[in-house]
Amino acid sequence: MATEHEYWLERGDIYALGALDSDELKEFQAHLGSNCAICAAYLRETRETLNLLHRSLRPVTPRPELKARVLDEIKNERVVSITTPQPKHATRWPRITGTIAAGIIGFVLAGTYYQYRYEQRRVDSAVITLLRDPSTRDLPLYGAGPSPEARGRFLWNDSGEGHIFVANLPSVPQGKTYAVWTIARNSAPRYVGAIAIDANGQGTAHIKSTPSASPPETFAVSLENEGTTAAPAGPIVLISKLS
Amino acid sequence: MATEPMADPISLIHRIATQNRDAFSQFYDRYSPIVYSLALRMLKAQSDAEDLLQEVFLQVWRQATAYSVERGSPEAWLINIARSRAIDKLRSVRRRERSFVLTDNPAAAESVDNVEISAGESETRLIMNSALANLPEAQRRVLELAYFDDLSQTEIAARLAEPLGTVKTRMRAGIQRLRGMLGTQAA
Repeated sequence: MATEHEYWLERGDIYALGALDSDELKEFQAHLGSNCAICAAYLRETRETLNLLHRSLRPVTPRPELKARVLDEIKNERVVSITTPQPKHATRWPRITGTIAAGIIGFVLAGTYYQYRYEQRRVDSAVITLLRDPSTRDLPLYGAGPSPEARGRFLWNDSGEGHIFVANLPSVPQGKTYAVWTIARNSAPRYVGAIAIDANGQGTAHIKSTPSASPPETFAVSLENEGTTAAPAGPIVLISKLS
Repeated sequence: MATEPMADPISLIHRIATQNRDAFSQFYDRYSPIVYSLALRMLKAQSDAEDLLQEVFLQVWRQATAYSVERGSPEAWLINIARSRAIDKLRSVRRRERSFVLTDNPAAAESVDNVEISAGESETRLIMNSALANLPEAQRRVLELAYFDDLSQTEIAARLAEPLGTVKTRMRAGIQRLRGMLGTQAA
């Protein structure tokens, strides 16, 4: 390895471990930002080396129910490929007349409207099913932090399904979103979905998540950067009564 | 432990990317014990480890198309996902400890340390094996605190009451030693 690079590689080891901090971290990140191929390769190799650490743990077989749960979850999912290019036929088609274009637009709008109505009906039906289930909990949500006026309601079933209604929330700043969390005692919060609000600060969202090992006791909404799902970092704006 | 012939993990991921549930099932069987052991080691509580395990494998199902060999071996890719998520949870718990406590019963609000000790001892009894066991204790300690407990070099120095420079030296020496064990010492 290049000797003149030793300064960066020393930091690269600690960075790969996740322990670099303060100014050294910023300095090294800036260096990585310069697309240093040596450090990139070194980091990759160091991370592979560090994988030895988890191998030092004795493997523990999880409960079989967990596999069944995961398999059940993926059964309901369809992964949409974003890499498959769409076939291009445009050059082979004759010129489209304005009338046909208008027809297509009308058809699309009608389809969208129908889909919206269908989706709305599907959600309504899901909420009714939730309400019919005696094990579904109905929890009030109270404004917190920057939104003391906010109010909400959370229907929650420990199967992992729920429905949230919110009101009086401020509009969402650019790049932010309202994230919904469930929190079991002594466990980290779990992201279960996002909720969009209208111009009046009202919103609703249907939640379908994986059943948790421990039933949640607290429910919260926080204002997060878009894409945040691992852990809440922003302010809590709505929370159920602490149980 | 009996070993059975397994499909190549890279081809398993490629098949998972085409939504092949059988490949996913095989991948889960092969890797869930190491992901779960890592989750238990980092999060300590069984319920959190189980949640993490589910989340990690759902992410594998959803993002198998994003895997490429440039990102490392399938195992390294998987462990990176698991460790990143575990670190997020650890940081969230720390933040929560600083901001609000989710109980109105102070007696039931065990400190995280208490939970960690009891859950860790009763549920896992994890053991160290060759890689870490072959490191000098001081080097092993700093690597564990960084890798499993998500502490920064400064936090580790404070925790161990050692100079920061000493911690850095031990970290590097430990990593170099692990490299030697792998036979991947940089040329």
